[in-house]
Amino acid sequence: MVPLGDVQGLILRSYGMDAATFFLLRVEKPAEARRSLGALPVTSGTLWDQKPPFCVNAALTFDGLKALGVASPSLETFPEEFVAGAIGRCAEVGDTGPCSTANWQYGLGEAGYLHAIVLLFAQTDAIRDAQVAVLRSCLLGDGGWAEIAALPGDVLPGEKAHFGYCDGFSQPTIDCGLQNPVPDKQPVAPTGEFLLGYPSQFDQLTYPVPSPDGLGRNGSFMVLRILEQDCAAFDHLIREAQTSHGIDGELLAAKMVGRWRNGVPLTVSPTTDSPQPPLSLAELNQYDYAPTAENPAAMNDRRGFLCPIGSHMRRANPRGAAIAGNSGSRHRIVRRGVPYGPPYDPAKPEDGIERGLLGLFIGVSIKDQYEFLMSEWINGDTFAPGIYGTTDPILGNSPTENKFVVPQENGAPIVISPFPRLVTTRGSAYTFLPSLTGLRYLADLK
Amino acid sequence: MGMVQSPLTLVMNIKSPEDFAQLNGLLQKVQGAPPDKNPIWVALTKLRTVHFARFVFLGNNTQLAVITTYDGSFEKYINDFIDEIGDVFNMLLMHMSDAPPLPVQKNRDAFLAYVKKNDLRCIEPFYSAYPEAPVVTILDALDQK
Repeated sequence: MVPLGDVQGLILRSYGMDAATFFLLRVEKPAEARRSLGALPVTSGTLWDQKPPFCVNAALTFDGLKALGVASPSLETFPEEFVAGAIGRCAEVGDTGPCSTANWQYGLGEAGYLHAIVLLFAQTDAIRDAQVAVLRSCLLGDGGWAEIAALPGDVLPGEKAHFGYCDGFSQPTIDCGLQNPVPDKQPVAPTGEFLLGYPSQFDQLTYPVPSPDGLGRNGSFMVLRILEQDCAAFDHLIREAQTSHGIDGELLAAKMVGRWRNGVPLTVSPTTDSPQPPLSLAELNQYDYAPTAENPAAMNDRRGFLCPIGSHMRRANPRGAAIAGNSGSRHRIVRRGVPYGPPYDPAKPEDGIERGLLGLFIGVSIKDQYEFLMSEWINGDTFAPGIYGTTDPILGNSPTENKFVVPQENGAPIVISPFPRLVTTRGSAYTFLPSLTGLRYLADLK
Repeated sequence: MGMVQSPLTLVMNIKSPEDFAQLNGLLQKVQGAPPDKNPIWVALTKLRTVHFARFVFLGNNTQLAVITTYDGSFEKYINDFIDEIGDVFNMLLMHMSDAPPLPVQKNRDAFLAYVKKNDLRCIEPFYSAYPEAPVVTILDALDQK
């Protein structure tokens, strides 16, 4: 049994809240910082009778653990990629060129600068604003922490992200006792794929729990990414699609992601975003790209005629498709996050306002989940056929100009080359999400 | 665009003549089975990262070589490789004098280190007639699922 009350709730459930603030913090006075960390009202994974007005979670970088006073023998038990951090691993995940650390904001490109992230999610702006004041008082009041930045995030009207897509349907179902509101037909993820201390998705492998057990067990790892989205470039691409590339703009938008912008998957509905009868919420995630043991009736779209093999969601989660490593369900991540910046106004394409996504990517192994996904699937071009020389149309960071291929059943594929850069990394951090017991361990350090 | 394929020339030292005899019997039996009953064949077919694979006894039957051409990074796909073919290596490695701790499923880092240490790769350069084509692309071109 997973002790839901000891696990940070963010790992196991999407809060579905409209407003957020992510505090980026540095330890100023270790004793005071430990005390205020212990006083945070951290939200666990306990079952809800009703959704609370707000949720709070806390994550530490390797340098943050060190600054709080975690001893070397314990620090040495954390995995090497977490120790290296997002800066040390930037080449691994494609944070190079325009995405390189030199262009990161808030000092995230400076080694050792960030120590902690405190995440506030709230049902309304008003609740968020009130809790921001409460958290500031708790964290900064006695000088324990210094605030590097407080990043606001807001779900956009219509529950959409920038670029206009509904998002967040596909999350792994974790064997932890909580329901997945939009279940898929992939194998249920073992607890140890997302929590330290349990058998993982790999045969006979339980990832080592960082020592001491009270600090490491029931924890997980989380990657923060600040991803700037170029809405003007996206808007231009879609508006010019018919003229420049001979494909309807909305269809191209769907082919790029794998879903129509309202969330309807191309694999289920390849020609319209409004199939009749309409799809239920659950049906938005009940598809695959090839027949599997869990979904034997799935159509085999091995050429990508329905959903391009290089589309964003087919790269990020290839499901049962025939890929290198036979591993479409062994490198999954939990995705949380919230848009930042105001909605894009097509009438003001050059408004000078930055907007994008504050993304959070969670798993028990940053190396085997997030980094594998980024290097092999998002930026990789050999794990599946027909994508050589390309990267993800949304998230990819091609070393040269990218291109995007839309396979056509009756004729030559549509190849858009060069394909514009749509997303640029503006910051990243590798963090540890301790259990509530782990947070108490940190608070009680002397 | 670089070459997507790499050579693996894994040379393992057999413990004793008795171990060679057992290994030889085991490999004859496994490799003599029809493809769908051969665990090596089945695993490599699922993995879709290995172009060719063969076993060869060397050094007057004191060594066993596993010679393959594979795609991508062996290290990155190590977990998937072990999950598909770990039991085959458990069978082979129990007859090797310098084997890592077994089972490989529970000793993944040690297995990876063992493979790196015992992989002779090749005298560079490694030739390929189609350096940009991974297994998945070739199967797709041949219209195989």
